[in-house]
Amino acid sequence: MTRYTLSSLLLIMIVGLGSCVTDPNSPGLEYMPDMYRSPAVEAYVDYGEDPYYKTEEVAKSQRNTISARKPVEGTIAQVKSGDFNMPYAYPNTDEGYAAAGANLTSPLATNQENIEAGMEIYQIMCTHCHGEKGEGDGAISRNGLIKGIPSYTGKLKDLPVGNIYHTLQYGKGLMGSHASQMTQKERWQVIEYVKVLQNGGEMPEFDANGNVLTAAASSDEAAQDQPQ
Amino acid sequence: MNKILFKLFTAAFLLTSLGTSASVWEGGNAENGEALFNANCASCHYTTAEVLAAPGLLGVKDRWKGVSDETLILWIQNPQAAAETGDKYVKSLVERYVPTYGWMTAQAVSAEEVKDIMAYVQVAATQVAGAGDATAGADCPTIGDDLEESGSASTTVWFLILLVLFIVVALAASGVRNSISNAIANDGDAEAGLTYTDRVKAWMGRNMAFVSIIGLVLVAYGATIGYQALMGVGVYEGYQPDQPIKFSHSIHVCENEVDCQYCHSSASKSKHAGIPSTNVCMNCHKGIKKGKQYGTEEIGKIYAAIGFDAATGTYIDGEGNNGHKAPQDDFDGDPIKWNKVHNLPDHVYFNHSQHVVVGGLECQNCHGDVQKYTVGRIAPVDEVAALVNDYPGLIPLSKPTLTMGWCIECHNKAEIDLASSDYYEEIHNRLKNDVRGNEELRKYMEDEEITVRELGGWECAKCHY
Repeated sequence: MTRYTLSSLLLIMIVGLGSCVTDPNSPGLEYMPDMYRSPAVEAYVDYGEDPYYKTEEVAKSQRNTISARKPVEGTIAQVKSGDFNMPYAYPNTDEGYAAAGANLTSPLATNQENIEAGMEIYQIMCTHCHGEKGEGDGAISRNGLIKGIPSYTGKLKDLPVGNIYHTLQYGKGLMGSHASQMTQKERWQVIEYVKVLQNGGEMPEFDANGNVLTAAASSDEAAQDQPQ
Repeated sequence: MNKILFKLFTAAFLLTSLGTSASVWEGGNAENGEALFNANCASCHYTTAEVLAAPGLLGVKDRWKGVSDETLILWIQNPQAAAETGDKYVKSLVERYVPTYGWMTAQAVSAEEVKDIMAYVQVAATQVAGAGDATAGADCPTIGDDLEESGSASTTVWFLILLVLFIVVALAASGVRNSISNAIANDGDAEAGLTYTDRVKAWMGRNMAFVSIIGLVLVAYGATIGYQALMGVGVYEGYQPDQPIKFSHSIHVCENEVDCQYCHSSASKSKHAGIPSTNVCMNCHKGIKKGKQYGTEEIGKIYAAIGFDAATGTYIDGEGNNGHKAPQDDFDGDPIKWNKVHNLPDHVYFNHSQHVVVGGLECQNCHGDVQKYTVGRIAPVDEVAALVNDYPGLIPLSKPTLTMGWCIECHNKAEIDLASSDYYEEIHNRLKNDVRGNEELRKYMEDEEITVRELGGWECAKCHY
């Protein structure tokens, strides 16, 4: 046991202790780092740290590319339901907005399933600006960051569904396009709920099949019931 | 008859004189105007020169100098109709701004209300635009802010421990030296011819108990350190890398109530929760140009990446021309290089949508109180377990976050809501009608609960293939 052994022991202890200091910027010790930063195609992996590093040129080109990409131009997202495969037909112009308002209608039925799904999507996608009940009083508006968000029971009460869809597709005024965050079906579902909000926010009553009980339908039933 | 005529004339005279002398720029109620402005105009116009979704209104009085009040009011109530009047200034406005910002929406305000609005616009021109309410978010604690400090504090503690250890060892060593020199002095020249090593060996032989205790302590200490280091391999708890933008989850989620899935919208649709692309940032930051903590500096990085010109409120294309309504595909900006925080090795398959949609988990069940963080961070398991009362359905776990032990611990404890899908009913019916199925069913129901594990959540191939 020499002084050297003692000092090397000390050194090991210092190194050992040093490795216990937590650095929030370090992921810690990785067993087989190439499994964590794999060369296999994977979203959000920094290929610049590829362990199968070829040349600086390749690494640089990989490092400077975006993981989240737009779909290839001209391609159409395939979803299960055939109704939602078609690209949007109206251009991002004032004329397109007017035409969508006049001609575009929802492919979805106004029923319990769609309205409730729409409500869930609304609470994720819309409430922070438009407010829980669509009165334009979301937290961002209350905090004074974006002012003047119109109310569904006020200025937007009679806004046709085509215009709402057009706005979700392209954005309007300060509102941006939400096409990248919601599928076509989700957009129509949220519109089903916005229609409820335009009518004051009272959820309609549904029959056993989930269809909306309109005032006319229920009075019909009442009329049918009476003779019996 | 004459009297009536006279009255009519006076009324008409009064009306016209009112219309001409009391112009739209004077006598309005600014307070009333503020409410009207915020309700009708503020979503597109600032009262300063800055552009929001349409030109700022600073100096609007001077710009509209040569135009009649009727035309201005008509322009607000029905812009297309105002353009048809053939007024020169209105025509120039249409040519200059409509291609970029589109037609203004017709506003249902009366002439009197326009007066109030204009009074407010002139008063408010000096107010800072887009700064928001500084008092907002007082109830939103941020635990990420002081993390760096606590990190350095723990470093100091370790250095103190090291120092104490060093002193102990140094004292022990000097003790060794003293004993040796004492030994030399006592034994006279008996050991004079021996080397230093031999002398130490001889001393160690005589002080066996002391040496073995020191040795035992050292070995135990080394073993502990080694064990801890090995247990820390591949454990990411507390990992919180610096990000290219000083983003704050606390400001976005807690203060402004943006849902997690607004930005991480693919959590319900795909394997990845998704890092929002810059166009999603722009859905709010087109209007919110100044951050609460860092002003325009951090938000400016989004603009640089997507090609947004904050001064004109429009997007830039590949040739450097601005004036576009939407982000341009050919703009060649440097993407924001976010650092991935939650990273699994490539032999593990994990799917967010399975857990969010089918499992119905809240984000916080695994990620902890992210709404109190600044940038993304891997929540230590104890921190998440402590939230058990805040989030119904949260299962407190004990193994470190993002390790396999953690995954299977949860799969073992998580109960399946059999009413959540017709699938389970179908499977139940099939099992009921089968002899072997009946045995299976009995096995499932032995403990009166059906966990993810019982339905295959511990199968290797569920996550590894």
